[in-house]
Amino acid sequence: MSSYHGKVDSLGLSFFGSMTASISHEIKNALAIINENAGLLGDLVALSEKGRPLDPERLQTISDSIRRRVQGADDIVRRLNRFAHSANQPVVTTGIRDILACTVALSERLATMKGVRLSIAAGEEIEVQTLPFVLENLLWICLKNIFLLAGEGQQVVLGAVREESDVVVTLHCTPEIPVEQLETTVATEGQPLIFFLRMQVRADPHNGRLCLHMPLRFIE
Amino acid sequence: MAVTVLLIDDDREFLDILAERLTIRGMEVTSAASGRAALDLVRDARFNVIVLDLQMPEMDGLQVLERLVALDPAQRIILLTGHATVSRGVHAMKLGAADVLEKPVDIRELVERIKTVASAPRGVGANGQAGQPSGPLQKGRGQGLLQALRGLFKSGR
Repeated sequence: MSSYHGKVDSLGLSFFGSMTASISHEIKNALAIINENAGLLGDLVALSEKGRPLDPERLQTISDSIRRRVQGADDIVRRLNRFAHSANQPVVTTGIRDILACTVALSERLATMKGVRLSIAAGEEIEVQTLPFVLENLLWICLKNIFLLAGEGQQVVLGAVREESDVVVTLHCTPEIPVEQLETTVATEGQPLIFFLRMQVRADPHNGRLCLHMPLRFIE
Repeated sequence: MAVTVLLIDDDREFLDILAERLTIRGMEVTSAASGRAALDLVRDARFNVIVLDLQMPEMDGLQVLERLVALDPAQRIILLTGHATVSRGVHAMKLGAADVLEKPVDIRELVERIKTVASAPRGVGANGQAGQPSGPLQKGRGQGLLQALRGLFKSGR
Protein backbone atom coordinates (compact mmCIF):
# COMPACT_ATOMS: atom_id res chain seq x y z
CA MET A 1 0.00 0.00 0.00
CA SER A 2 2.81 2.42 0.90
CA SER A 3 4.35 2.07 -2.57
CA TYR A 4 0.96 3.12 -3.98
CA HIS A 5 1.00 6.16 -1.74
CA GLY A 6 4.47 6.94 -3.08
CA LYS A 7 3.25 6.64 -6.68
CA VAL A 8 0.16 8.76 -5.94
CA ASP A 9 2.41 11.41 -4.37
CA SER A 10 4.82 11.31 -7.28
CA LEU A 11 2.02 11.73 -9.85
CA GLY A 12 0.57 14.48 -7.67
CA LEU A 13 3.86 16.37 -7.61
CA SER A 14 4.13 16.18 -11.38
CA PHE A 15 0.52 17.39 -11.74
CA PHE A 16 1.12 20.21 -9.28
CA GLY A 17 4.21 21.26 -11.23
CA SER A 18 2.41 21.27 -14.60
CA MET A 19 -0.50 23.28 -13.26
CA THR A 20 1.52 25.88 -11.35
CA ALA A 21 3.82 26.36 -14.37
CA SER A 22 0.78 26.96 -16.57
CA ILE A 23 -0.81 29.32 -14.03
CA SER A 24 2.40 31.31 -13.63
CA HIS A 25 2.44 31.70 -17.41
CA GLU A 26 -1.08 33.14 -17.30
CA ILE A 27 0.01 35.58 -14.59
CA LYS A 28 3.04 36.60 -16.69
CA ASN A 29 0.79 37.31 -19.66
CA ALA A 30 -1.50 39.48 -17.53
CA LEU A 31 1.54 41.34 -16.18
CA ALA A 32 2.86 41.85 -19.71
CA ILE A 33 -0.37 43.60 -20.76
CA ILE A 34 -0.47 45.71 -17.59
CA ASN A 35 3.17 46.63 -18.22
CA GLU A 36 2.45 47.68 -21.82
CA ASN A 37 -0.60 49.70 -20.77
CA ALA A 38 1.41 51.49 -18.07
CA GLY A 39 4.16 52.11 -20.60
CA LEU A 40 1.67 53.48 -23.11
CA LEU A 41 0.34 55.90 -20.47
CA GLY A 42 3.90 57.12 -19.98
CA ASP A 43 4.34 57.47 -23.75
CA LEU A 44 1.13 59.51 -24.07
CA VAL A 45 2.19 61.81 -21.20
CA ALA A 46 5.59 62.28 -22.85
CA LEU A 47 3.87 63.13 -26.15
CA SER A 48 1.54 65.60 -24.42
CA GLU A 49 4.59 67.39 -23.04
CA LYS A 50 5.67 67.81 -26.66
CA GLY A 51 2.32 69.34 -27.57
CA ARG A 52 0.11 66.39 -28.55
CA PRO A 53 -3.15 66.73 -26.61
CA LEU A 54 -4.17 63.90 -24.28
CA ASP A 55 -7.34 62.14 -25.44
CA PRO A 56 -9.51 61.40 -22.35
CA GLU A 57 -11.28 58.54 -24.18
CA ARG A 58 -7.95 56.91 -24.93
CA LEU A 59 -6.92 57.25 -21.29
CA GLN A 60 -10.22 55.71 -20.20
CA THR A 61 -9.67 52.73 -22.55
CA ILE A 62 -6.20 52.14 -21.08
CA SER A 63 -7.52 52.45 -17.53
CA ASP A 64 -10.35 49.97 -18.31
CA SER A 65 -7.85 47.53 -19.81
CA ILE A 66 -5.59 47.69 -16.73
CA ARG A 67 -8.58 47.17 -14.42
CA ARG A 68 -9.78 44.19 -16.50
CA ARG A 69 -6.35 42.57 -16.54
CA VAL A 70 -5.84 43.10 -12.80
CA GLN A 71 -9.24 41.44 -12.22
CA GLY A 72 -8.20 38.58 -14.53
CA ALA A 73 -4.89 38.15 -12.69
CA ASP A 74 -6.75 38.17 -9.36
CA ASP A 75 -9.03 35.38 -10.62
CA ILE A 76 -5.96 33.38 -11.66
CA VAL A 77 -4.36 33.83 -8.23
CA ARG A 78 -7.61 32.75 -6.50
CA ARG A 79 -7.63 29.63 -8.68
CA LEU A 80 -3.99 28.97 -7.78
CA ASN A 81 -4.77 29.40 -4.09
CA ARG A 82 -7.72 27.01 -4.20
CA PHE A 83 -5.62 24.49 -6.12
CA ALA A 84 -2.66 24.79 -3.71
CA HIS A 85 -4.95 24.15 -0.73
CA SER A 86 -6.57 21.15 -2.43
CA ALA A 87 -3.20 19.38 -2.43
CA ASN A 88 -3.30 18.83 1.32
CA GLN A 89 -7.07 18.54 1.67
CA PRO A 90 -8.35 15.37 3.35
CA VAL A 91 -11.34 13.35 2.12
CA VAL A 92 -14.25 15.79 1.66
CA THR A 93 -17.84 15.67 0.50
CA THR A 94 -18.16 17.96 -2.47
CA GLY A 95 -20.06 18.44 -5.71
CA ILE A 96 -18.60 16.52 -8.65
CA ARG A 97 -19.41 19.44 -10.96
CA ASP A 98 -17.26 21.69 -8.76
CA ILE A 99 -14.34 19.34 -9.33
CA LEU A 100 -15.01 19.25 -13.08
CA ALA A 101 -15.19 23.06 -13.16
CA CYS A 102 -11.87 23.36 -11.32
CA THR A 103 -10.22 20.86 -13.65
CA VAL A 104 -11.48 22.74 -16.72
CA ALA A 105 -10.30 26.08 -15.31
CA LEU A 106 -6.85 24.65 -14.55
CA SER A 107 -6.49 22.98 -17.96
CA GLU A 108 -8.05 25.64 -20.15
CA ARG A 109 -4.86 27.44 -21.19
CA LEU A 110 -3.09 24.19 -22.07
CA ALA A 111 -6.19 23.04 -23.98
CA THR A 112 -6.30 26.29 -25.94
CA MET A 113 -2.62 25.89 -26.85
CA LYS A 114 -3.55 22.52 -28.37
CA GLY A 115 -6.60 23.93 -30.18
CA VAL A 116 -8.97 21.96 -27.90
CA ARG A 117 -12.16 23.43 -26.40
CA LEU A 118 -13.33 22.24 -22.98
CA SER A 119 -16.83 22.54 -21.56
CA ILE A 120 -19.08 20.98 -18.93
CA ALA A 121 -22.38 19.32 -19.77
CA ALA A 122 -25.50 20.62 -18.08
CA GLY A 123 -26.80 18.43 -15.27
CA GLU A 124 -27.63 18.22 -11.62
CA GLU A 125 -24.92 18.43 -8.99
CA ILE A 126 -23.97 15.09 -7.43
CA GLU A 127 -22.37 14.98 -3.99
CA VAL A 128 -19.36 12.70 -3.76
CA GLN A 129 -16.94 11.85 -0.99
CA THR A 130 -13.43 12.00 -2.45
CA LEU A 131 -9.96 13.49 -2.47
CA PRO A 132 -10.43 16.39 -4.92
CA PHE A 133 -6.71 16.76 -5.71
CA VAL A 134 -6.29 13.08 -6.61
CA LEU A 135 -9.45 13.08 -8.73
CA GLU A 136 -8.38 16.28 -10.51
CA ASN A 137 -5.00 14.66 -11.13
CA LEU A 138 -6.68 11.68 -12.81
CA LEU A 139 -8.90 13.97 -14.88
CA TRP A 140 -5.80 15.89 -15.94
CA ILE A 141 -4.15 12.63 -17.07
CA CYS A 142 -7.28 11.94 -19.18
CA LEU A 143 -7.23 15.44 -20.71
CA LYS A 144 -3.47 15.43 -21.33
CA ASN A 145 -3.81 12.20 -23.28
CA ILE A 146 -6.83 13.49 -25.18
CA PHE A 147 -4.68 16.50 -26.22
CA LEU A 148 -2.11 14.07 -27.63
CA LEU A 149 -4.75 12.23 -29.66
CA ALA A 150 -6.82 15.26 -30.62
CA GLY A 151 -6.63 17.33 -33.74
CA GLU A 152 -7.28 21.03 -34.02
CA GLY A 153 -10.89 21.91 -33.27
CA GLN A 154 -11.39 19.02 -30.85
CA GLN A 155 -14.15 19.52 -28.32
CA VAL A 156 -14.26 17.75 -24.98
CA VAL A 157 -17.40 17.86 -22.87
CA LEU A 158 -17.02 16.71 -19.27
CA GLY A 159 -20.12 15.45 -17.49
CA ALA A 160 -21.27 13.31 -14.57
CA VAL A 161 -24.24 11.01 -14.03
CA ARG A 162 -25.31 8.94 -11.07
CA GLU A 163 -25.55 5.17 -11.51
CA GLU A 164 -26.79 3.43 -8.33
CA SER A 165 -24.00 3.79 -5.74
CA ASP A 166 -21.55 5.13 -8.32
CA VAL A 167 -20.99 8.37 -10.11
CA VAL A 168 -19.80 8.13 -13.70
CA VAL A 169 -17.62 10.97 -14.98
CA THR A 170 -17.68 11.14 -18.77
CA LEU A 171 -15.32 12.80 -21.22
CA HIS A 172 -17.09 13.06 -24.53
CA CYS A 173 -14.83 13.86 -27.50
CA THR A 174 -15.98 15.41 -30.77
CA PRO A 175 -14.81 14.57 -33.38
CA GLU A 176 -14.31 11.03 -32.15
CA ILE A 177 -10.86 9.90 -31.05
CA PRO A 178 -9.75 6.29 -30.43
CA VAL A 179 -11.21 6.00 -26.92
CA GLU A 180 -10.00 2.40 -26.49
CA GLN A 181 -6.43 3.67 -26.93
CA LEU A 182 -7.20 6.49 -24.51
CA GLU A 183 -8.55 3.98 -21.97
CA THR A 184 -5.33 1.93 -22.17
CA THR A 185 -3.10 4.97 -21.74
CA VAL A 186 -5.11 6.43 -18.86
CA ALA A 187 -5.39 3.03 -17.13
CA THR A 188 -1.61 2.63 -17.32
CA GLU A 189 -0.49 6.16 -16.49
CA GLY A 190 -3.17 6.78 -13.87
CA GLN A 191 -3.17 3.28 -12.37
CA PRO A 192 -2.09 4.30 -8.82
CA LEU A 193 -4.75 7.04 -8.74
CA ILE A 194 -7.43 4.71 -10.12
CA PHE A 195 -6.57 2.15 -7.44
CA PHE A 196 -6.43 4.78 -4.71
CA LEU A 197 -9.87 6.15 -5.59
CA ARG A 198 -11.32 2.66 -6.26
CA MET A 199 -12.30 3.76 -9.73
CA GLN A 200 -12.72 1.98 -13.04
CA VAL A 201 -11.88 3.40 -16.44
CA ARG A 202 -13.94 2.20 -19.40
CA ALA A 203 -14.00 3.25 -23.01
CA ASP A 204 -17.42 3.75 -24.57
CA PRO A 205 -16.55 3.79 -28.30
CA HIS A 206 -20.23 3.63 -29.27
CA ASN A 207 -20.74 7.09 -27.77
CA GLY A 208 -17.19 8.38 -28.36
CA ARG A 209 -16.45 8.86 -24.69
CA LEU A 210 -14.30 7.74 -21.82
CA CYS A 211 -16.13 6.83 -18.59
CA LEU A 212 -14.65 6.96 -15.10
CA HIS A 213 -16.73 5.02 -12.58
CA MET A 214 -16.22 6.01 -8.96
CA PRO A 215 -18.04 5.16 -5.74
CA LEU A 216 -20.13 7.94 -4.21
CA ARG A 217 -18.39 7.35 -0.91
CA PHE A 218 -14.63 7.15 -0.53
CA ILE A 219 -13.43 3.70 0.51
CA GLU A 220 -10.37 3.72 2.77
CA MET B 1 14.31 54.97 -43.20
CA ALA B 2 12.03 53.47 -40.56
CA VAL B 3 12.78 49.97 -39.31
CA THR B 4 9.99 47.62 -40.43
CA VAL B 5 8.77 45.22 -37.75
CA LEU B 6 6.31 42.34 -37.87
CA LEU B 7 4.80 41.60 -34.45
CA ILE B 8 3.27 38.15 -33.92
CA ASP B 9 1.24 37.42 -30.78
CA ASP B 10 -2.13 35.74 -30.21
CA ASP B 11 -3.15 38.34 -27.62
CA ARG B 12 -4.71 41.08 -29.76
CA GLU B 13 -4.58 43.65 -26.97
CA PHE B 14 -0.88 43.08 -26.32
CA LEU B 15 -0.25 43.27 -30.04
CA ASP B 16 -2.11 46.57 -30.48
CA ILE B 17 -0.45 48.31 -27.56
CA LEU B 18 3.07 47.15 -28.40
CA ALA B 19 2.51 48.14 -32.05
CA GLU B 20 1.44 51.62 -30.94
CA ARG B 21 4.45 51.99 -28.64
CA LEU B 22 6.92 50.91 -31.32
CA THR B 23 5.22 53.23 -33.85
CA ILE B 24 5.62 56.14 -31.40
CA ARG B 25 9.34 55.25 -31.45
CA GLY B 26 9.50 55.65 -35.23
CA MET B 27 9.09 52.05 -36.35
CA GLU B 28 6.80 50.84 -39.10
CA VAL B 29 4.81 48.03 -37.50
CA THR B 30 2.62 45.31 -38.98
CA SER B 31 0.76 42.88 -36.69
CA ALA B 32 -0.31 39.25 -37.01
CA ALA B 33 -2.46 37.47 -34.41
CA SER B 34 -1.38 33.95 -35.39
CA GLY B 35 1.52 32.07 -36.90
CA ARG B 36 -0.52 31.31 -40.02
CA ALA B 37 -1.42 34.98 -40.57
CA ALA B 38 2.26 35.89 -40.14
CA LEU B 39 3.42 33.30 -42.68
CA ASP B 40 0.90 34.69 -45.18
CA LEU B 41 2.27 38.19 -44.59
CA VAL B 42 5.95 37.30 -45.04
CA ARG B 43 5.23 35.67 -48.38
CA ASP B 44 4.22 39.09 -49.74
CA ALA B 45 6.30 41.51 -47.71
CA ARG B 46 9.76 41.79 -46.17
CA PHE B 47 10.43 43.02 -42.66
CA ASN B 48 13.69 44.11 -41.07
CA VAL B 49 12.82 42.30 -37.85
CA ILE B 50 10.13 39.89 -36.71
CA VAL B 51 9.14 39.84 -33.01
CA LEU B 52 7.47 36.53 -32.26
CA ASP B 53 5.64 35.24 -29.19
CA LEU B 54 6.83 31.79 -28.16
CA GLN B 55 3.55 30.48 -26.72
CA MET B 56 0.68 30.56 -29.16
CA PRO B 57 -2.23 28.23 -29.86
CA GLU B 58 -2.40 26.13 -33.04
CA MET B 59 1.18 26.72 -34.21
CA ASP B 60 3.55 27.61 -31.38
CA GLY B 61 6.42 30.10 -31.67
CA LEU B 62 9.11 27.52 -32.36
CA GLN B 63 7.09 26.01 -35.22
CA VAL B 64 6.51 29.47 -36.68
CA LEU B 65 10.20 30.27 -36.24
CA GLU B 66 11.20 27.14 -38.18
CA ARG B 67 8.86 28.02 -41.05
CA LEU B 68 9.98 31.65 -41.15
CA VAL B 69 13.63 30.60 -41.31
CA ALA B 70 12.77 28.04 -44.01
CA LEU B 71 11.16 30.80 -46.08
CA ASP B 72 14.08 33.20 -45.55
CA PRO B 73 17.18 31.92 -43.72
CA ALA B 74 18.42 35.50 -43.29
CA GLN B 75 15.25 36.67 -41.56
CA ARG B 76 16.00 38.39 -38.23
CA ILE B 77 13.71 37.11 -35.52
CA ILE B 78 13.42 38.04 -31.84
CA LEU B 79 11.39 35.71 -29.63
CA LEU B 80 9.29 36.96 -26.74
CA THR B 81 8.45 34.47 -24.03
CA GLY B 82 6.49 34.46 -20.80
CA HIS B 83 9.13 32.27 -19.19
CA ALA B 84 12.66 31.80 -20.45
CA THR B 85 13.94 28.28 -20.00
CA VAL B 86 17.45 27.22 -20.86
CA SER B 87 16.42 24.43 -23.22
CA ARG B 88 13.74 26.38 -25.12
CA GLY B 89 15.95 29.48 -25.37
CA VAL B 90 18.94 27.56 -26.66
CA HIS B 91 16.69 25.59 -29.04
CA ALA B 92 15.26 28.84 -30.41
CA MET B 93 18.76 30.23 -30.98
CA LYS B 94 19.79 27.02 -32.75
CA LEU B 95 16.75 27.30 -35.00
CA GLY B 96 17.93 30.75 -36.04
CA ALA B 97 16.43 33.27 -33.59
CA ALA B 98 18.59 36.36 -33.17
CA ASP B 99 17.52 36.78 -29.55
CA VAL B 100 15.05 35.76 -26.87
CA LEU B 101 13.46 38.30 -24.51
CA GLU B 102 11.30 37.62 -21.50
CA LYS B 103 7.86 39.20 -20.94
CA PRO B 104 7.09 41.69 -19.48
CA VAL B 105 9.71 43.36 -21.64
CA ASP B 106 11.20 46.81 -21.09
CA ILE B 107 10.36 48.84 -24.22
CA ARG B 108 13.81 50.47 -24.25
CA GLU B 109 15.46 47.06 -24.22
CA LEU B 110 13.17 45.77 -26.96
CA VAL B 111 13.77 48.83 -29.15
CA GLU B 112 17.52 48.52 -28.62
CA ARG B 113 17.46 44.82 -29.55
CA ILE B 114 15.31 45.49 -32.63
CA LYS B 115 17.71 48.20 -33.81
CA THR B 116 20.80 46.05 -33.19
CA VAL B 117 19.27 43.08 -35.00
CA ALA B 118 17.97 45.25 -37.86
CA SER B 119 21.37 46.88 -38.43
CA ALA B 120 23.22 43.56 -38.78
CA PRO B 121 24.35 42.78 -42.32
CA ARG B 122 22.82 39.73 -43.96
CA GLY B 123 25.57 37.24 -44.71
CA VAL B 124 27.18 34.23 -43.11
CA GLY B 125 25.63 33.76 -39.70
CA ALA B 126 26.63 32.77 -36.22
CA ASN B 127 25.96 29.13 -36.95
CA GLY B 128 28.01 29.31 -40.13
CA GLN B 129 25.04 29.01 -42.47
CA ALA B 130 24.90 31.25 -45.50
CA GLY B 131 22.08 33.72 -45.33
CA GLN B 132 22.11 33.95 -41.54
CA PRO B 133 22.64 37.34 -39.96
CA SER B 134 26.23 38.15 -38.96
CA GLY B 135 28.52 41.03 -37.90
CA PRO B 136 27.18 43.17 -35.06
CA LEU B 137 24.31 40.78 -34.64
CA GLN B 138 26.69 37.90 -34.15
CA LYS B 139 28.54 39.87 -31.47
CA GLY B 140 25.33 40.87 -29.67
CA ARG B 141 23.41 37.72 -30.52
CA GLY B 142 21.40 36.31 -27.64
CA GLN B 143 22.00 39.24 -25.25
CA GLY B 144 18.35 39.23 -24.22
CA LEU B 145 18.42 35.49 -23.67
CA LEU B 146 21.56 35.77 -21.51
CA GLN B 147 19.88 38.45 -19.43
CA ALA B 148 16.70 36.37 -19.06
CA LEU B 149 18.72 33.31 -18.09
CA ARG B 150 20.69 35.29 -15.49
CA GLY B 151 17.36 36.20 -13.88
CA LEU B 152 16.31 32.59 -14.10
CA PHE B 153 19.40 31.32 -12.32
CA LYS B 154 19.02 34.00 -9.64
CA SER B 155 15.45 32.86 -8.99
CA GLY B 156 16.61 29.24 -8.90
CA ARG B 157 14.46 28.08 -11.85
